[in-house]
Amino acid sequence: MTTKEGALSPYRVLDLADSKGAYCTKLFADLGADVIKVEAPQGDPGRRMPPFAGDVPHHEKSLYFLHRNAGKRGVTLDFETPDGRDILIGLVARADVLVENSPPDYMAGLGLDYAALRQVNPRLIMASITDFGRSGPYKDRKSSNLVDFAMSGVMITSGYPGKEPSLCPGTPAYDAASLYANISILAAMHMRDAIGEGRFIDVSVHETSRLGLYPWIIPNYSYAINPGGPPPSSESRLGASVYPVYPCKDGLIRVIALTPRQWDALVRVLGSPEVLQMPDWRSFLYRIGNASDLYALMLEFTQKYTMIELFEAGKREGVPIAPILNIQDFYNSPHTKARQFFVEVEHPVAGKAEYPGPPYKWTESPARIARPAPCLGEHNEEVYCQELGFSRDDLVALRGAGVI
Amino acid sequence: MLPLEDVKVLSFGTGGVVPDAGKILGELGADVIKIESKDNLDFMRTIGPDMNNIAQFNEANRNKRSFGVNLKTEKGKELVSRLVKWTDILLENFRGGVMKSLGFDYGNVRKLNPQIVYVSSQGFGGGGPFSDFQAYGPMLSAASGMLSIWAQPDDPYPVGSNSPLPDHMASKHAIIAALAALDYRHRTGKGQYIDMAQTEVAVSLIGEHYLDYTYNNRIAKPTGNRSTYAAPHGCYPCKGADEWCAIAVFNDVEWRSFSSVMGDPAWTRDPKFASLQGRLKNVEELDQHVRQWTSGLDAYVVMEVLQAAGVAAGVVQRAPDTLADPQLKWLGSTVELDHPVSGKRLYPGVPFRMSGAPPAQSTAAPLLGQHTEEICRDLLNMAEDEIQRLVKEDILHTPASSKDGGTSILG
Repeated sequence: MTTKEGALSPYRVLDLADSKGAYCTKLFADLGADVIKVEAPQGDPGRRMPPFAGDVPHHEKSLYFLHRNAGKRGVTLDFETPDGRDILIGLVARADVLVENSPPDYMAGLGLDYAALRQVNPRLIMASITDFGRSGPYKDRKSSNLVDFAMSGVMITSGYPGKEPSLCPGTPAYDAASLYANISILAAMHMRDAIGEGRFIDVSVHETSRLGLYPWIIPNYSYAINPGGPPPSSESRLGASVYPVYPCKDGLIRVIALTPRQWDALVRVLGSPEVLQMPDWRSFLYRIGNASDLYALMLEFTQKYTMIELFEAGKREGVPIAPILNIQDFYNSPHTKARQFFVEVEHPVAGKAEYPGPPYKWTESPARIARPAPCLGEHNEEVYCQELGFSRDDLVALRGAGVI
Repeated sequence: MLPLEDVKVLSFGTGGVVPDAGKILGELGADVIKIESKDNLDFMRTIGPDMNNIAQFNEANRNKRSFGVNLKTEKGKELVSRLVKWTDILLENFRGGVMKSLGFDYGNVRKLNPQIVYVSSQGFGGGGPFSDFQAYGPMLSAASGMLSIWAQPDDPYPVGSNSPLPDHMASKHAIIAALAALDYRHRTGKGQYIDMAQTEVAVSLIGEHYLDYTYNNRIAKPTGNRSTYAAPHGCYPCKGADEWCAIAVFNDVEWRSFSSVMGDPAWTRDPKFASLQGRLKNVEELDQHVRQWTSGLDAYVVMEVLQAAGVAAGVVQRAPDTLADPQLKWLGSTVELDHPVSGKRLYPGVPFRMSGAPPAQSTAAPLLGQHTEEICRDLLNMAEDEIQRLVKEDILHTPASSKDGGTSILG
């Protein structure tokens, strides 16, 4: 294991967020920042998200939580109490960044909004993630990952025409907010030395997922509006016809043949069968218009080959073909192994397992998972005693009072 | 002052990932120059009949200047080498091996500019057997395991979506890498190379399913929209063709609100639906009832009445819904830009706000070579007659000289 420091090693991030901001701060932790996750004494609700290690619901075994909080330290704190509020302010004084996702006005109600916190630490950068925004007609609406994704514009492009649209796995709407929060924090850090002060950043899940996950929807529609012309058609569910999926010997492949050249290459990949050489098939629009006939024709040929044979033949001939790998397939892929993407992490309660590593390799400042996700309150002593000067007896009292 | 006003970016981008990253860096104030060649166009310039009038390209390439140059000529390479010396960040997502064949791989580039932050983003990433495979977003959802579980349990096979996800998530990771590496350089004086795999971004976004494999030896299967801790939880059909409202009911308080919104029909009083456990156990029957209720109603009515009762609900939206969305209107989430060929069109705005900073700016995408001459004059200190000679020799491209350059892939 290398001992070089990460790209963000000197910085401390206070993570008051739950699932909506967990990915934002995980990315900081991967790059070496000291991320301190501040949880209410009863724990982040993300600890209750399935699946669980060993299939046993347990607050230290949520795999969603373990993945998105790996690399962070963790303390418990009820900052709605006066003592807890003081402790949080002590932490803020020593932090570069604070990320939180409470409802609008909640932090202000506790006297912990940016206006108050910048008095304590003028260099603090604070990012607040809300569901719909800090103001506006939807400000107090309820949301969830499903509801956010439904409104993101991506969902109506999913699944089969006429059937219920499908939720993308993971929590893509939350992660869109997390990514934009992270980018704006890094931008604010970039200018902090020049201006000598921090910034407040305001991000909503609704807006970031709507504008960030699939930004092309808006111009696609706008470009189709022509004065005097018919109203434009909006998104439809073309996954199966634009990027057709075919069974092969050992699984499924997805084919991206858009150009005539790519189509010709695909025909060669499949052994140049005569029935596929009809000139009409070279036109992308003809293929879309006759997708089900084409599908029936293709089956005979695709099923002669394995996923990897078609993947490699596609590369050789010049047509993108992707194997549809399941979780095990990707884990075992020689490419995944060559990149050493999975890394072993040992969690004191959930046990040892391989985790997906950071999705990039760095030549100077390594990205890595430095520690497992924190157990509830694991670093209370480390942070409160060693850094804020509390004694162990103080901690016992604070615990007794429900503050930590 | 915009936060990245002093940052210079050179973009060798195609498709979604690097163009989107450059767009956002530009919104934050960076000076982003897109290197474009007439004979090797950004893929997105080729998906319609006029390379300067393509919605997706013109969205992804806003906030950039276009430097049109023939990268296969020695003179063209020399000019780009000078821009390599100028830049702080280089972003590229050409097919693996292409930058090397052009002579602009990290090994060469660092000799010109040792402090450069160089971010490569290939579909599968470097250093493995698939490194030089061509990859579009829809292939990466397939090759990362994401597509295998993006489906309803009864679908014949998963089709996911026709969006290019995970492209627009990978682009944000590339920005984070570039800005963090810039911070590291600021502290240490050292540049570096970052090799990002777009498949690994997709895996990172669904990490819990990978841990389900490494901890529990389970290969995740599609579960559609069902949840193990909420019911009803799904998209329910509403009045009209392909109209849906997503509904998520997590606890008993929400369940009682939900029932009362429906008018407390008799079935809701059945004890088997009284607890979350019961609703999860009888979810098929529950969903049947909910569908019956929603199918006669407008999707917006369903959303409004449920939200008024404190239940999470949202219409499965299309583009016109976005443009009419009262919250997005309030936030000012779309911008109209005037493009020299496409005219006035709508684009996504900047979805974050920063105190003390002016609202981030968006400028229309460039025509191919639109800024070639100004970059030659202002950054490369070239004389006017040399610039014009190189344009004539087809080493440099301007909008006028590249008019016949675009070929649509649609044939």
